[in-house]
Amino acid sequence: MVGFLIKRLLQAIFVVIAITLLVSFAVRLTGDPAVTMFQGGGSMTEEDLMRIRVALGTDQPFFVQYMNFLKGLVTLDLGKSFTGGTPVSRLIGDALPATLMLAFISMAVSIVLSIPLGIKAATSKGKGVDQAIRIFSLLGLSFPNFWLALMLVLLFSITLGWLPPSGMGGVESYIMPAVTMGVILTATNVRLVRTAMLDTLNAQYIMVARAKGLSESKVLYKHALRNCAIPLITYFGLQFGGLLGGIVVIERVFNWPGMGSLAFDAVGARDYPVLQAVITVLSLLIVGINLLVDIAYGLVDPRIRTE
Amino acid sequence: MTRTQAGTKSHSGAAALVALALTSVALPAAPALAAGKMTISTPQDPGSWDPVDTFLVQWAAVATNVFDGLTYRGPDLKLVPGLAESWEELDEGKRIRFKLRQNVKFHNGEPFNAEAVKFTFDRLLGEQGAKGPQRSNYTAIESVEIIDDTTVDMKLKAPDPVLLTKLAGYGAMIVPPKYIQENGEDNFNLHPVGTGAFKFVSYAPKVNIALAANPDYWGGAPKLSELDYRFITEPATAVAELQAGRVDLVIPPTIPIGMLPVIEADSNLQIVSVPGPTVDALRFNTRDGITADPRVRKAIIMAVDRATIVQSILAGQGSEIANFQGALSFGYDPELKPLPYDPEGAKKLLAEAGVKPGSTLQIDIRGNDTTMNEVTQVIASYLQMVGITATIKPYETNVLLNDIIPQGKTGAMFQQKWGGWTFDYDNTAYSMYHSGEKWNPYEKDAELDRLLESQRPLTDRAERERILKDIGKYTAEKAYEVPLYNTNAIYGVSKKVKGFIAPPDNRLKLTDVTVE
Repeated sequence: MVGFLIKRLLQAIFVVIAITLLVSFAVRLTGDPAVTMFQGGGSMTEEDLMRIRVALGTDQPFFVQYMNFLKGLVTLDLGKSFTGGTPVSRLIGDALPATLMLAFISMAVSIVLSIPLGIKAATSKGKGVDQAIRIFSLLGLSFPNFWLALMLVLLFSITLGWLPPSGMGGVESYIMPAVTMGVILTATNVRLVRTAMLDTLNAQYIMVARAKGLSESKVLYKHALRNCAIPLITYFGLQFGGLLGGIVVIERVFNWPGMGSLAFDAVGARDYPVLQAVITVLSLLIVGINLLVDIAYGLVDPRIRTE
Repeated sequence: MTRTQAGTKSHSGAAALVALALTSVALPAAPALAAGKMTISTPQDPGSWDPVDTFLVQWAAVATNVFDGLTYRGPDLKLVPGLAESWEELDEGKRIRFKLRQNVKFHNGEPFNAEAVKFTFDRLLGEQGAKGPQRSNYTAIESVEIIDDTTVDMKLKAPDPVLLTKLAGYGAMIVPPKYIQENGEDNFNLHPVGTGAFKFVSYAPKVNIALAANPDYWGGAPKLSELDYRFITEPATAVAELQAGRVDLVIPPTIPIGMLPVIEADSNLQIVSVPGPTVDALRFNTRDGITADPRVRKAIIMAVDRATIVQSILAGQGSEIANFQGALSFGYDPELKPLPYDPEGAKKLLAEAGVKPGSTLQIDIRGNDTTMNEVTQVIASYLQMVGITATIKPYETNVLLNDIIPQGKTGAMFQQKWGGWTFDYDNTAYSMYHSGEKWNPYEKDAELDRLLESQRPLTDRAERERILKDIGKYTAEKAYEVPLYNTNAIYGVSKKVKGFIAPPDNRLKLTDVTVE
């Protein structure tokens, strides 16, 4: 187990270095942040730009800048944002919980919906219910998520006035963003659960379980679901990672102050310290989630635990 | 860091939902409209509230309420006394003596006096100012000398005719010496203190900044008790908030032309618009290709019907221009007429210049500028009618601005959007046409350089205006750009808001505004 964790830790370090190196290098090819700061100002001279570059540290060679960033990571000093000089740790500290909370609730919505629906579709394969669930899932997959978001805002915020159209506040502010994400995730997940369930339901031990006279719900949820849990957990885990990256659009539409918005603004402003920090934190999270997925395997499947 | 930990912990299971529910019970979302509160949607968080740090108009939309300058310029664009009651020019414009307002205090109780003025400009021109962009606007100032507690002399290296205007905004806002020295520069970025009509209350990066009325304001207490500026980037989201009644005012540049009908159709809302400082032009690559020939450039200008573009695509929210400035700009010449729409004349000129029908050129634009995307498509079809095939190349805004234009890597034409808050043509003309300027990758014109330099130190307004008009004429004659239009600053306003006067320059001062 210890060897496994060390391997994972080294893997995480490698991923962070590879990704941040790529991102830091690439973003520096797209123009000078000093010029961005001067936008709206009048004439600027090379001297003006130079003193801004010195203040930002972008006058240094790329390698030096990157080593400074790594040094900062080790000492947990993420530096200051180029736009305004807010400490990056504060920006991340505000944005990360906002994104995690939204991603977590969206996942929860999706799991709560997709498992019973997927099982229902599998057990009534080919019947009307199954067809209806599959059509719903196809519709959900075809919706662009921002469009669904705008429609929800139009209905629930403007026409009915029940929910706030944007921003993060009380429980009511989570409903529309989480539902938008949740519905779209559900559409995919229902199909996955259905397929996994169909495979399992044909297995002999299910027949045995039924033959023992177990109740249908015990057969489905204790025997069948647990046996098809491995692919589902893998998929949900990966999906959560993907969700963190893909949440940008939803965060924009709902003006959600999360990591997606932070990254989006940082790219726009060529705010290297913020961008590097966001990428680092997200890659660490994704590596961490994969680790949790591996550990979860052991919990649901004793055969893996003993290996 | 504590917040990170809280967040990480809370994502670990059902505890999160409980925690969430508890938070919301303890702190229900405040009703957006308490009495005397106004909520404003602004498209960008400047990240720092320190006057020396930024050129963003979104900074000014907030900070005009927190800080004061020695002079003040309101929505009528007239210069009036601010923290200085009066001033006089001495030594042929190389020294300005300011008489300061008495009994004014900063929000922290610190007195405003000559010391504060000196501190402000020493800081702007010193080490702290060197880290930010604002300093470059105030380099005419050599030093500030304290004469007595309420009198200061500003010594200038050379007269700067625009200086008194510049003292009304941005980098010249007067800041509290003791507060900054005691609490540090980093603190000041996030907790601004000024002498303005509203005091800083709280700031959550990327979320909002809240202000409260300063009842002791020297200009009279504001009518509203609270201001809440929310940072909302997406136009559709800002407009939805306005429609839902949770935002009272959406400031520019947020609302695109395409969304005007949504607001106009809502009986609770209205559009208020004024001509702003921003002008749009398609500039030419005057160095390479067919547009190196001035005849071709003129032909292209003549091929485009700008009146139709302003009416149909801008929905009338703009006005045609003859050179790179709008009617509010100092240096604007009402006599100067743009080249007329004349496709036949354009074809003749093109033939004369030896440009064969079917020639191609590329127009570089900002990809996220929806209005300009439509406008250039129309322009491309106008050019098609005179035998030029244009391809439109959308760039990410900062790539275009930081790389493609300064490096001289543009196509034959490229979008430039410009507008200095000082409304002085010098700001635009010098940056666009003087040799070696970042925004002037293609031209080196000794005559134009001479004209541009000659007006800079002049304190004689009439003489300076005459030269600026000459510059305008000269650039129109050389056809350095297709002058398109001066766009309006568009505000989306709830009808509950009373007494709102739209400032052309986004420097929103909300002292006299009320919300029903």
